Amino acid sequence: MTHLLEIENASRRFGGVLAVNDVTAHVDEGELVGLIGPNGAGKTTLFNLISGFTPLSAGTVRFAGTPINGLRTNRVARLGISRTFQNLRVFPNMSVFDNVSVGAVGTLPQGPLDALFGAAKRADAISERTWAALEAVGLTHVADELAANLPYGRRKYLEIARALAMQPRFLILDEPAAGLNDTETRELAAFIKRLHGQGLTIMLVEHDMNLVMSICQRVLVLATGRKIADGPPEVIRQDPAVLEAYLGVDA
Amino acid sequence: MSASKSRPQWVLPVLIGLLVFAALPAVLASFDRGYFYQIANLALIFVLLSASMHLVTGVAGLLHLGHAAFYGVGAYTAALLTTKLGLGFTWTLPLSGLVAALVAFLVALPTMRLVSIYFAVATLAIGQMLYLVMLNWVEFTKGPNGIIVTKGLELFGFSLSGRLATYYTVAAVVVLCVVAIGRLSHSYYGNALRSIREDDQCADAMGVRTVRLKMEAFTLSAFFAGVAGSLWAHMTGYISPGDFKFSESILILAMVVVGGLGSLPGAVIGALLLILLPEGLRGLGDFRNIMVGMVMFLSILFLPKGLLGEVSALRLVRQQLGAAWRRTDNGIGIGWR
Repeated sequence: MTHLLEIENASRRFGGVLAVNDVTAHVDEGELVGLIGPNGAGKTTLFNLISGFTPLSAGTVRFAGTPINGLRTNRVARLGISRTFQNLRVFPNMSVFDNVSVGAVGTLPQGPLDALFGAAKRADAISERTWAALEAVGLTHVADELAANLPYGRRKYLEIARALAMQPRFLILDEPAAGLNDTETRELAAFIKRLHGQGLTIMLVEHDMNLVMSICQRVLVLATGRKIADGPPEVIRQDPAVLEAYLGVDA
Repeated sequence: MSASKSRPQWVLPVLIGLLVFAALPAVLASFDRGYFYQIANLALIFVLLSASMHLVTGVAGLLHLGHAAFYGVGAYTAALLTTKLGLGFTWTLPLSGLVAALVAFLVALPTMRLVSIYFAVATLAIGQMLYLVMLNWVEFTKGPNGIIVTKGLELFGFSLSGRLATYYTVAAVVVLCVVAIGRLSHSYYGNALRSIREDDQCADAMGVRTVRLKMEAFTLSAFFAGVAGSLWAHMTGYISPGDFKFSESILILAMVVVGGLGSLPGAVIGALLLILLPEGLRGLGDFRNIMVGMVMFLSILFLPKGLLGEVSALRLVRQQLGAAWRRTDNGIGIGWR
């Protein structure tokens, strides 16, 4: 049985600090997995290791059987891993439509000759994907708006739309609920569940437990760079190691 | 991708076509002074240079400080092919573009992984190197004496060197190239280039092959600059290294900045403004340079995005300078990716 994503003994050292220390984990096709941990646990680093942003110090990461160590970020993206950013990184001086089209054109590359002589088929495929992604997040009515002019909550959905336009096999959301109020978080949770319901494999990296516990099938817990727990939410909630990490029981 | 729906899309191109190919030549012919033709042709050539700079700096966001050198490579290619091999404009036009693009491609290979300000400095150095080659390789380029280009504009042996014919040839080539640049920059390909300008790491995570696309933008813009060089060489009949020095690169950059980074119409208007304004202000003598400086200064101060731009020039520069000090994740290779 091969997993969609396999992380084997992954480590990442920054100077003297082991940000990720010998983590082994996996994600199966069709799962909705949460990755949680207190501040500084190494969540974002592990995430960056998976998306190819940061090279591994040791270990391997395999996606659909292909080792992705040392691959360029854009290559990893084209293999089917798509992500959003914790500190929103939309393209501010581009329209909403153009923002999302970048995700589509990234995975369906259009060359200069296509642009010059108009390969209509390719362009149609890109625009189709772009509209579909905009529709999925409900931003079609602001397609011509400049991304910088969108309110914060909308920009989150814009990032998700851009990731969806890549038609990924695996979507990683980095702290999608950060900065959202309770209502917005509930809407987001419903939206993520809907995406998952359509068969997309999703990993949710979150600082806050509630969202993860309410929608994820399985939860990975990191603390100080190590994986300390891995299981369904109800088990994680009672895991003494997790409670200790979050509440600091010992001392 | 958004287009205004209030008027049909063909209206503006037709108006511009009428202006360039009917109204303006009529005015020029009615005055019939060589000086006016010269100004019109010069303005058109700089429109092309500015448009090609728009592709690399305005759209792809690469701060290019050596663009005039590729213009020079094109001009020297045309001049040398004419004087040494006896080729005419028909051949030198595409070949100048291709040679300039080839040189750009070769220098881009080692420099394209440099980020931000390091890239800008590298283009500055490349521009200076090419300029010094033109200046000092006397046996080949005739150095500071320049080269007299013996053949005027022609197409398959049919001479186009009359005043009006020259204007029409230059205008036709420039319009064709500007349309091509427009197609490149207003397409999904252009959007991928824009995403690099906006946030190249993020573009990378979206699957955009950032290094390759930057190379393409740089090479394509050099191609168009080379074409402009060939026009210039055959039009004036004499070229010298002084036409392609650093200050010309800055002039082209200023056109793009004044017009607005990321906007092709802006680049065109910027070029017209910075060529026609100094000519119009000739009566002011040396003060005209101060006036041009004032225009640039005021445009950055009061129109941070230029006349029609997508990005503020200051923001782009700040982003570029800032990146030099930004720490990279893996600790190694600041300034290199």
